[in-house]
Amino acid sequence: MSLRPDIYWNPILETLPEEKIQALQLKKFRRMVKWAYDNSPFYRRFYQQEGLEPGDIKNFEDIHKVPKIEKGMMREVQQREPFPYGDMLTVPLKQVTAFRQTSGTTGTPVYQADMWQDWEWWSECWCYILYAQGYRDMDRVFIPFGYNIFVAFWAGHYAAEKLGCEVVPGGILDTQARILKMQELRCTAFMATPTYVLGMADTARNKLGIDPAKDLSIRKITCAGEPGASVPTTKRRMEEAWGAKVYDHIGATEIGAWSYECTEQPGGLHVNDAFFLVEIEDLETGEPVTEPGKEGTMIITALDRTAKPCIRFDSKDVIRWSDHQCDCGRTFRLIEGGVVGRADDITKVKGVLLAPTAIEEVVRSLPELGDEYEVIVSKRGDVDDILLRVEILRGREGKQESILSRLRNQLRVKTNLGYRIEIHPYASLPRYEVKAKRFKDLREKGG
Amino acid sequence: MEAREIKEMDEKIRQLRKIAEQLRKISGGIQAVERNLDRILANIRMLELNISDVKELV
Repeated sequence: MSLRPDIYWNPILETLPEEKIQALQLKKFRRMVKWAYDNSPFYRRFYQQEGLEPGDIKNFEDIHKVPKIEKGMMREVQQREPFPYGDMLTVPLKQVTAFRQTSGTTGTPVYQADMWQDWEWWSECWCYILYAQGYRDMDRVFIPFGYNIFVAFWAGHYAAEKLGCEVVPGGILDTQARILKMQELRCTAFMATPTYVLGMADTARNKLGIDPAKDLSIRKITCAGEPGASVPTTKRRMEEAWGAKVYDHIGATEIGAWSYECTEQPGGLHVNDAFFLVEIEDLETGEPVTEPGKEGTMIITALDRTAKPCIRFDSKDVIRWSDHQCDCGRTFRLIEGGVVGRADDITKVKGVLLAPTAIEEVVRSLPELGDEYEVIVSKRGDVDDILLRVEILRGREGKQESILSRLRNQLRVKTNLGYRIEIHPYASLPRYEVKAKRFKDLREKGG
Repeated sequence: MEAREIKEMDEKIRQLRKIAEQLRKISGGIQAVERNLDRILANIRMLELNISDVKELV
């Protein structure tokens, strides 16, 4: 493998040998814990209650002794001053320059404070992502996203500017206007959720008579917000629809943009090990997971985020290490297949662990089916029931029996579960513009 | 890139920070100076994360 310096945003950090990355992570982790202890009333109180002082962290193994924080704590701390963030803050309120919040999918939204340095840091993390995905100063990047209180794509926007791209903000334009603007300006790249990437292609073809793969100039797409770009069949659908390379990235409001796929598309995403410390813990025992292929919950530290530190945050994202050595030459570790699911999404149905992404992979492998689907888990008497609703493409209605048979077989192989399957006419299931809600578990609601 | 070159970059980054901080001290509270320096210092911090933090490891 030969190193090509021109493919790295920072060749020094991105090709640092593993033991040196660990040394860097330890140095930064200690610095961050001390900063939080000295400046955040929440962290000082929390660590004192747990009997921890910053000086206790002497080697890499000591990191596991540092107590974890959870989203619930971030919500609780918001009841304290200063309003609206609470005393997790490490800086006076007057230094805060940006408000963002989580979507609140799993409860009360978490408010995130960033000062200008943190905002530069957000952009910097995204520069690693975009540069690795081939964005350069000749790209014209369209952002088809309603800029708002959520962090998504704000940082992507500023990072694209930082590395010299020309950025076209597609803010409040509707889908058709966005497609026409991308065509008019010959945009070469855009960023969106997988749901919207597929939805835009559908609108282009069916409402505008435009074939995105032939009539537009898009060569690369960066996805966020959903796991679709790491689900092989969904990725293939997007790439075929747009005639472009589709790359995944993972980030979160309270963490930062911590992971990205490179142009090698190695079947996984690199963790930005220089800016984040990612640990995996066994889903049941909580023991550290270091071996490849074994799933666990991600515990993550943003090593340089200062105004509202994120130290050993239990993200509930389920990931697994890859044993693959990426041909890009980066030494940043790979996680296989992106985020496999959420610890609170991976649910037991009929006693079997079910990850919604496994169903997506099967549905999107059948060319006769549309992109949309819905999964509803409920109780029929005392027994769990899974209803899968799919859409059949126009002109394929005669193949229903064959589709049903293949779906049942592949789902059985992939998930070890049986399903009731309904085939609906094309365009009859709900459409989503940002994050889709295709998996519904009605059992706790008495369904 | 050799360790010597990284150390040289680190030294220049230190000088940048020193100059920016000195300039802030003598700004006399002129917002046009202070606020622009805040942004410059944030960018200098990114240089430190990319270069200075790693200088003893290369």
